[in-house]
Amino acid sequence: MYNTDMPSRAELPSSRKLIRSTLLAAVAATALMVTVVLPAEYAIDPTGAGRLLGLTEMGEIKEQLAEEAALDRANAESESMQGASVAVTPEVEVNEVTAETTANQTATTAAPVQEETEVPQPDATWRDEVQFTLSPGEGVEYKLTMTEGDVASFAWKSERGAINFDTHGDGGGNAISYEKGRGVPEDEGDLEAAFTGNHGWFFRNRNDSDVTVVLRIDGDYENLKRML
Amino acid sequence: MFPSPMGGVFDVPDKARRCHLPLIALLVLLLGASGDALAHAVAEGDKGYIQEIYGINLISFIYLGAKHMVTGYDHILFLLGVIFFLYRMQHIAIYVSLFALGHSTTMLLGVYFDIGINSYLIDAIIGLSVVYKALDNLGAYQRWFGFQPDTKAATLVFGFFHGFGLSTKIIEYEISPDGLLPNLLAFNVGVEIGQLLALGAILIVMGFWRRTAGFLRHAYTANVANVAMMCAGFMLIGYQLTGLFTA
Repeated sequence: MYNTDMPSRAELPSSRKLIRSTLLAAVAATALMVTVVLPAEYAIDPTGAGRLLGLTEMGEIKEQLAEEAALDRANAESESMQGASVAVTPEVEVNEVTAETTANQTATTAAPVQEETEVPQPDATWRDEVQFTLSPGEGVEYKLTMTEGDVASFAWKSERGAINFDTHGDGGGNAISYEKGRGVPEDEGDLEAAFTGNHGWFFRNRNDSDVTVVLRIDGDYENLKRML
Repeated sequence: MFPSPMGGVFDVPDKARRCHLPLIALLVLLLGASGDALAHAVAEGDKGYIQEIYGINLISFIYLGAKHMVTGYDHILFLLGVIFFLYRMQHIAIYVSLFALGHSTTMLLGVYFDIGINSYLIDAIIGLSVVYKALDNLGAYQRWFGFQPDTKAATLVFGFFHGFGLSTKIIEYEISPDGLLPNLLAFNVGVEIGQLLALGAILIVMGFWRRTAGFLRHAYTANVANVAMMCAGFMLIGYQLTGLFTA
């Protein structure tokens, strides 16, 4: 009205044009739906276009996160129903290092994995050491039982590919994330428990191939548990 | 020439907000959007995905940019207001380009320099832009103040605010610094693609509507639509300001 003059009726697109546009829009929308939206949102990829564009991976990650979140909520619920905080997933007492001899294409030959990956701190003796291999998309969580103010020192290193991590803790209704990282090959430092509970690391492999992570811990804590 | 071969039912899952018309926007506002869930402190959905990736992911970010625009009812409402009384493709192109220039500038600068504005506040201003444009379309400024504010300047300036809205959302996504600039540019390209898709859909619907006798002969229906749009804008403002004071 105040931008431009009113057009005459003849200047407007004809009904035929509009109907054609509508049909074109519907066809384009269907094509986008199948090749872009469904792969990116639900990892449903009937044409394979989503895989080609890298969007199916997005859908897979979203589905995975949603599943894990649902599991997490279910666990939290059952935990609060039981009252006591019992680790739901089978606990693994980890002093026995699971030496995974599977894919040893790089230098390492089965046996002295620890020596090979030793952090250059000859005087440091670690209380716990775990080694695990993560396939693409796989995640793992290790936690320490700590009371408020406890300090644990740690060092971890990922071989054959960088890794995503979240150093965090929970317990007694509290939750905290100390540090998050994406595509990090190694990290070390001290973890000071902000409150009494379980504190530790979540690792996820977002590479296309397996990675092996060695995690070493020392300091004040009761025990090391594998949570997931 | 009617360049809107794309657009239409660019459908997205129920959780996402979708709409091209004020009335649907009102409904969507009432439903609200679902928040993040806590899975070992990991977000879900788009945010969760973004927090899992690093490095250059151009196509993924183009998609996310387009999705953000197509499902962002506030941007769509403003766009609808801007082109409401534009009939020629070259006029539409000028105004839409101005809007794109505005929001691209502040979006890129905002993320790059990490200028975080309170998201409720900026979204309330975006709601205000909808109200402003609806009043403009109704001729309120001419009636009240006796002059017509420059419509192109308003489109550009409100474009700047919409861009800060976008940048604020992107900062909340916590994109990895690894590959940030290319990913950001890809997101921007996606925003423009999404805008064109939404524009296509709007133009088709408006095209049918404008052919009805009422639209041309008397401004009544157009006025009703602009009042409805203004109402949606006020609701956006109220919704965001409530969030600002309660969150």
